[in-house]
Amino acid sequence: MVGSRLVLRDVEAGYGAVRVLHGVSIDVNEGETVVLLGTNGNGKSTLIKCIMGIVRPERGEIALERDGERIDLIGRAPEDMVHLGITLVPEGRRLFPKLTVEENLMLGAFRAAARRDIAKNLDLCFEAFPVLRSRRRQLAGSMSGGEQQMLAIGRALMSTPAILLVDEPSVGLAPLLVSRVITTIRDLKERYHLTVLMAEQNFNQAVKIADRGYVIVHGQIAFEGRTEDLTEHELVKKYYLGL
Amino acid sequence: MVSLDLLLNALAAGLLLGGFYAAVSLGISMAFGLLDIVNIAHPVFVILGSYAAYIMNARFGFDPILTGVLFTPVFYVLGVVLYRIYYASFERKGAESLRGLVFFFGVLFIVEVSLLLAFGVDYRMVEARYIGESIHIGPVGLAYRLLVPFVVGVMLTGALYWFLARTFYGRAVQAVAQDAFALRLMGANPFKVKSIAFGLAIATAALAGALLIMIGPVEPALNREYIGRVFAVAVLGGMGSISGTLVAALLLGVAESLTATFSGPSWSVAVSFAVLLLALAVRPAGLFGR
Repeated sequence: MVGSRLVLRDVEAGYGAVRVLHGVSIDVNEGETVVLLGTNGNGKSTLIKCIMGIVRPERGEIALERDGERIDLIGRAPEDMVHLGITLVPEGRRLFPKLTVEENLMLGAFRAAARRDIAKNLDLCFEAFPVLRSRRRQLAGSMSGGEQQMLAIGRALMSTPAILLVDEPSVGLAPLLVSRVITTIRDLKERYHLTVLMAEQNFNQAVKIADRGYVIVHGQIAFEGRTEDLTEHELVKKYYLGL
Repeated sequence: MVSLDLLLNALAAGLLLGGFYAAVSLGISMAFGLLDIVNIAHPVFVILGSYAAYIMNARFGFDPILTGVLFTPVFYVLGVVLYRIYYASFERKGAESLRGLVFFFGVLFIVEVSLLLAFGVDYRMVEARYIGESIHIGPVGLAYRLLVPFVVGVMLTGALYWFLARTFYGRAVQAVAQDAFALRLMGANPFKVKSIAFGLAIATAALAGALLIMIGPVEPALNREYIGRVFAVAVLGGMGSISGTLVAALLLGVAESLTATFSGPSWSVAVSFAVLLLALAVRPAGLFGR
């Protein structure tokens, strides 16, 4: 895996006249799992979309630092991000419902740099999510929500990502499944040294895997810190823990 | 009393015809089933392929199959250009369904009338040494003018199947109509994927046209007769399913051949519409539809 670091500085973005992000700066260092916390409508997804090139920021910098080289990401299309090694597990999973599990996984390996790793990555996916192996010939649309989320993560891993972006993996899943998905992301990160940026509103689940976190409120970073500091913070207590 | 020889010959001829029907229908099944592009002009591109084979045969004595192969890249480019016009005018604006249908209807008439103006209403045909000859296996006679289209049609089907199932761009073609945005997250550009796929769909018409003029004489308005047939095959097979297209084409070929042999050739055109109606009523997703 290539040493990659994501740097965002003073990012401002929105939709039409509505400004959603008001100068957000975050870093995601190599091998780190960073969680972006915030309730609905505070700009988590918009920030992820800015990094992926789906929403174009009005101001600020978004760059990928790789082997001492700095690559400006603003203005690039989502497909270019994939080729640079940034892969998104989108909110709502966005699988190809009428293709089989295996066909979905193979599409994850579309990135030219990932094609020689197919056998290795498939093994990795099936090891992490054994259910995908037994369902490989089944249509993705016919699986349960939890299985679909596993497939969405597996499909993203097929691209040999240097940085994995995960947008709201827990939405629409039963609590037990949320826990399982989160635990698997942690295992993957520990075993394969993945760099992960995850947007999540389920605080208790997110802090189980995060090294660091940012709390985003009304489009601004209200707090940043290591996971253990996060749980102690007043803001977090107020918003998430109901204390 | 039905003679066994007659039955066997009708079955064999039907299967051979079916292989050819597959070649004619592949492009339409791809466009409708995989790309959501309502290209009803496809049969007229097949006729265009027939005229290419006719010209190259009459002027330079080229074998029709050779012309078909040579014109495949030309038709591919034609398809890519056509898709780009369609994309810029309709698809990008989200106005593809009804206006797109009108667009392709217009394309159909323009190509047909152009052929009429250039070549008139006369039937045209090609000459090759093997056309008119046949081989006999027991009581069954296989005419080369049907056997060659069958072999080429099955090979074309196999090649397209391989492309869609085994290549990265082929799998992207299968996914593009389901979720174009998700495809971008895989690193593929949906516009490029659809350009390639539509180019290939039109490219099949170059070969299918060469096969058509080998089977029988061709005139510009012949495409109308094929519209019902290709739709019957594509719907019965399951839009977008390549293997389904082949199976449905073989079934239709046999059904038509048996009808023509035992009830008279004038009934054979009715068979395709009967099959189409039956498929729509009983199983709208087709035999192999997902």
